[in-house]
Amino acid sequence: MAVSEKIVSREFKQYVRAPNPDIGLDETIKRLTPEKIEKTIKAVLGGRSARIKAVLETCIHCALCSEACQWYLSNDKDPTYAPVAKMRMTIWEMIKRDGKVDAEFIKQCARIVFTECNICHRCSMYCPYGLDVTFIIGMVRRICFLLGVVPQRQMDQDQAHIATLNQVWMSQNDWLDTMQWQEEEVGAEFKNLRIPIDKEGAEVMWLPLGAEPKTGTYHVERTAKIMHVAGIDWTVPGKDVWDSSNMPMFIRDFVTMQRIVRGLYENASRLRIKKLILTE
Amino acid sequence: MYDFIKDPTLYNLARGPLVWIAFIVFIGGSIYKIRELVLLAKGERVVLPFIDLKATLRSLLHWLIPFASRNWRNRWPITILTFLFHICLVFTPILLLSHNILVYESWGITWWTLPEGLADIMTFVVVITCIIFFLRRFLAPEVKFVTFSSDYLILAISFFPFLTGFLAYHQLLLPYKTMVILHMLFGEIMLIAIPFTRLGHMFYFFLTRSFMGSQFALWHSRDW
Repeated sequence: MAVSEKIVSREFKQYVRAPNPDIGLDETIKRLTPEKIEKTIKAVLGGRSARIKAVLETCIHCALCSEACQWYLSNDKDPTYAPVAKMRMTIWEMIKRDGKVDAEFIKQCARIVFTECNICHRCSMYCPYGLDVTFIIGMVRRICFLLGVVPQRQMDQDQAHIATLNQVWMSQNDWLDTMQWQEEEVGAEFKNLRIPIDKEGAEVMWLPLGAEPKTGTYHVERTAKIMHVAGIDWTVPGKDVWDSSNMPMFIRDFVTMQRIVRGLYENASRLRIKKLILTE
Repeated sequence: MYDFIKDPTLYNLARGPLVWIAFIVFIGGSIYKIRELVLLAKGERVVLPFIDLKATLRSLLHWLIPFASRNWRNRWPITILTFLFHICLVFTPILLLSHNILVYESWGITWWTLPEGLADIMTFVVVITCIIFFLRRFLAPEVKFVTFSSDYLILAISFFPFLTGFLAYHQLLLPYKTMVILHMLFGEIMLIAIPFTRLGHMFYFFLTRSFMGSQFALWHSRDW
């Protein structure tokens, strides 16, 4: 597909990008009204947190953060990819216009914060003041999430978490079944190998990523082998939540984010686990 | 206008009450701003409980020493400029002989001072680095993209007290008395502006570094 046409931002003439159609952004902005946008922005930024205030009132616009950003470096040092530029094009503009921005602007913000930033925190390591740029990007993500303007793939993952507390739509039955099936599989190779489910007082609880029991079951098998050979007293949770991939965190869906973290810790405290091991 | 500036009442005003106002606003404003931020942070339960003194000091140390952090080494010309600028900006006014004499005449106290020649060079360094920072604002594309009029304003606020001080010392451009009045007025504007503009990074620097240093210590990583 030959993409020749470029999108030039209305507000920032230097912000030129190839078209990137996404139902999650293109369709959802049709539902927005100026009142809704203003209300949301004020709700998120209104009770100015110390972390937002510190960034806004300290940043001296020196752009020393720019070389920390992989997006900036890999796009021929295009100034619109610098971390400070991302703040300038999103939150500073929202505050300057007191939340009175239109749907098109929100779409542009969503594109910047979701698809041009990995919230990796490297800019904070390069900023002479150590300003938390990532937190600001996260707040803009939160505004976009509350308005429903999120790339479809990310919203999809979030909804999987909302419905099933894991990102792969796996029911509790499927999860337990997978664990038992993997136990049988490895049984042929290792004598007395167990995948203990809900073992009370175990030393370690293993919390996989959603994809492991779903599409990468050999990961379960290998983890079991390692734990067995290393002689570790381990277990996996028999109840939700077991998926430690907290996708809602990336779009700042605080409610689901909290349900997952709380679920993981509740499982651990229910079984009096000493350590959690998470797949990364 | 010219007569107005030469007027001795303006001199007395700038020399007397305005200095008091400037210092009271500067100190009071700074305390107020710091207190405001700390109180706000108190409301956010994820900030203050995680502040770690050791991590704070390590972070500050690495960013207050030239070339100690990675970005200071990567951007070495900026590092040299910014350290020269800030050292001269902070220490010249405090350790200047003439300022010392003013304090001595008022309260009879005095402290260590810089040699006149060195102070002169340091003032000149501030003036030159200010001009370089000004040029950088529209020559470096990444800086130009995030430059607002307020950036030029705060640069001007820190530039003019030093420029007028330098010109007054060398008795250039305007008569000494006029220049010194302008110098005092600009200095007072700067002191008043510090707490209420982004020049407040003078004290916010320590707070934001403390937060980020502690955060990175929590993640078993370094922030320099």
